[in-house]
Amino acid sequence: MTHVPVTYKGGIYRHDEIIDLIEDLGGYIIQKHVIAQEIVLQALVPREDIELIRRIGKPLTGEVTPSPLVGTEIAVVTPSLEIHHLPHASCDVAEYIRRFGAKTNMVGLARGFGKRIAQLNDEERDVINEHDLAVYLLGDFETCIERKFPVLRRGIDVPIVLCGGPSTEALRRIIDPPVEGYVGGIGRFMHRTKESEEIGKLEEVVGEITRVLDQRREDLARDPLSISPARLMDIIAENVEEIHEVLSPTPITVQMQGLRVKLPYDTFAPVIRKLVIDEGTTIGDLATVSPSRMRDYILLRIKPFSETNIVL
Amino acid sequence: MEAVEYFEVECPEAAGREYYRKIADVVLLDHNLLRVIRKLHIFIDPKVPIFVATGVTRKLPGIVRVRDFADVNVKDTNVTISIGDEAYLAPLLRILWDKFGKERVNQPDRFTIVLSVGEGEGDIADLPVYDPSESIYKDLIYVLQVIQPEGFKVRRQYYGGNRFYLVASEDTLPDDIEDLVRQKFALMGVEG
Repeated sequence: MTHVPVTYKGGIYRHDEIIDLIEDLGGYIIQKHVIAQEIVLQALVPREDIELIRRIGKPLTGEVTPSPLVGTEIAVVTPSLEIHHLPHASCDVAEYIRRFGAKTNMVGLARGFGKRIAQLNDEERDVINEHDLAVYLLGDFETCIERKFPVLRRGIDVPIVLCGGPSTEALRRIIDPPVEGYVGGIGRFMHRTKESEEIGKLEEVVGEITRVLDQRREDLARDPLSISPARLMDIIAENVEEIHEVLSPTPITVQMQGLRVKLPYDTFAPVIRKLVIDEGTTIGDLATVSPSRMRDYILLRIKPFSETNIVL
Repeated sequence: MEAVEYFEVECPEAAGREYYRKIADVVLLDHNLLRVIRKLHIFIDPKVPIFVATGVTRKLPGIVRVRDFADVNVKDTNVTISIGDEAYLAPLLRILWDKFGKERVNQPDRFTIVLSVGEGEGDIADLPVYDPSESIYKDLIYVLQVIQPEGFKVRRQYYGGNRFYLVASEDTLPDDIEDLVRQKFALMGVEG
């Protein structure tokens, strides 16, 4: 059964039927938003059942659209969170990616500005490495990007999509060794993205991210994970009561290879490690449970089949 | 940018030049300063790196005095001020309190101030209240700091006599920076 990421948008009336349906079909609800009279569900559902959900949702004015980025956590990295980069350049990109289902976090570097003086510290590096992908939003000058990008990418081992003012070809030319994705023509700007040309640029960013992540999914499929992150999320949500008291929009954030559980590490890591998944297999057997560099959250990395010899 | 007589961005990188033209335009518009500027020349060289912005302002509105926004009636030792434009009320009250002390300044209602003045103190109408050029130059320098590339922490700025400039870099500024500024002013046809 292959799961496809989709977004369901519909009225709040009888929406629990849709939730039950998705769960009964073996799908997973990743995130649920209630916005006044409307509900937005981001879910992973079995490919062959999309039509069924669409049919049942129709009388409830429900709409099912594919969202390629559901179940991913993306870092949007800007050299700083000063007025030079906020709100338009960074927020518009972060917000637009979110519409396609991704959970985006903005990472504003403490000393990322300037050409010669740009730096990346170990905390920033580790936080970025906890994501599935990092989108770097740099400035308008080729000279600066060429000089500072090697510093900003040092130690980063997740795929990078680089955005900057110069053309895509120019970015490709100046970056060595190459990164996974490039989008030119979107550097520093001080106005809201409203015109169709600018929205087109944001589309391009999403397209590039989707392409890079699809590639990554293919790589992962060669040595599949021992358990799907979405299923692991369900197990934790069922067994750890305290997670329902967390007020974050996503108390458990689903990533491509793991989860971020927003509970204190010291108290809950042993609990999570010992949770039984199936016939004596515990979460600790299938995943590494480590402290996250983000607050005192817990980071779960699911081990691949080659390490555990189990696929659930 | 039609309102500005001369507006140029000079930069060795063509793409960067166009972006910064747009950035300067948007930022000046957002801060409502387009009508204040007569000429503006921005020079950026990311290789050095250096940012130089030079400009000339239009004739700025003069100092606002009490008679510009209020009616003043003097009767013996009592002066009654009827406020027309409330925008200047707060700075005026502050000045009066400093000058006469709070006990001699009465404000029976929102638009009226009654003062008891001594001999020879009745010339309230000509009292300067607010100098717009002061805040406009401050705003101009702030706006240029927003326009300049981020991280250029070493700055030199100047304003006065209808002219202003801001030089910024992330390295120590070169000794001959005044010459560069003079050159940029000369490009606009203004004597350095």
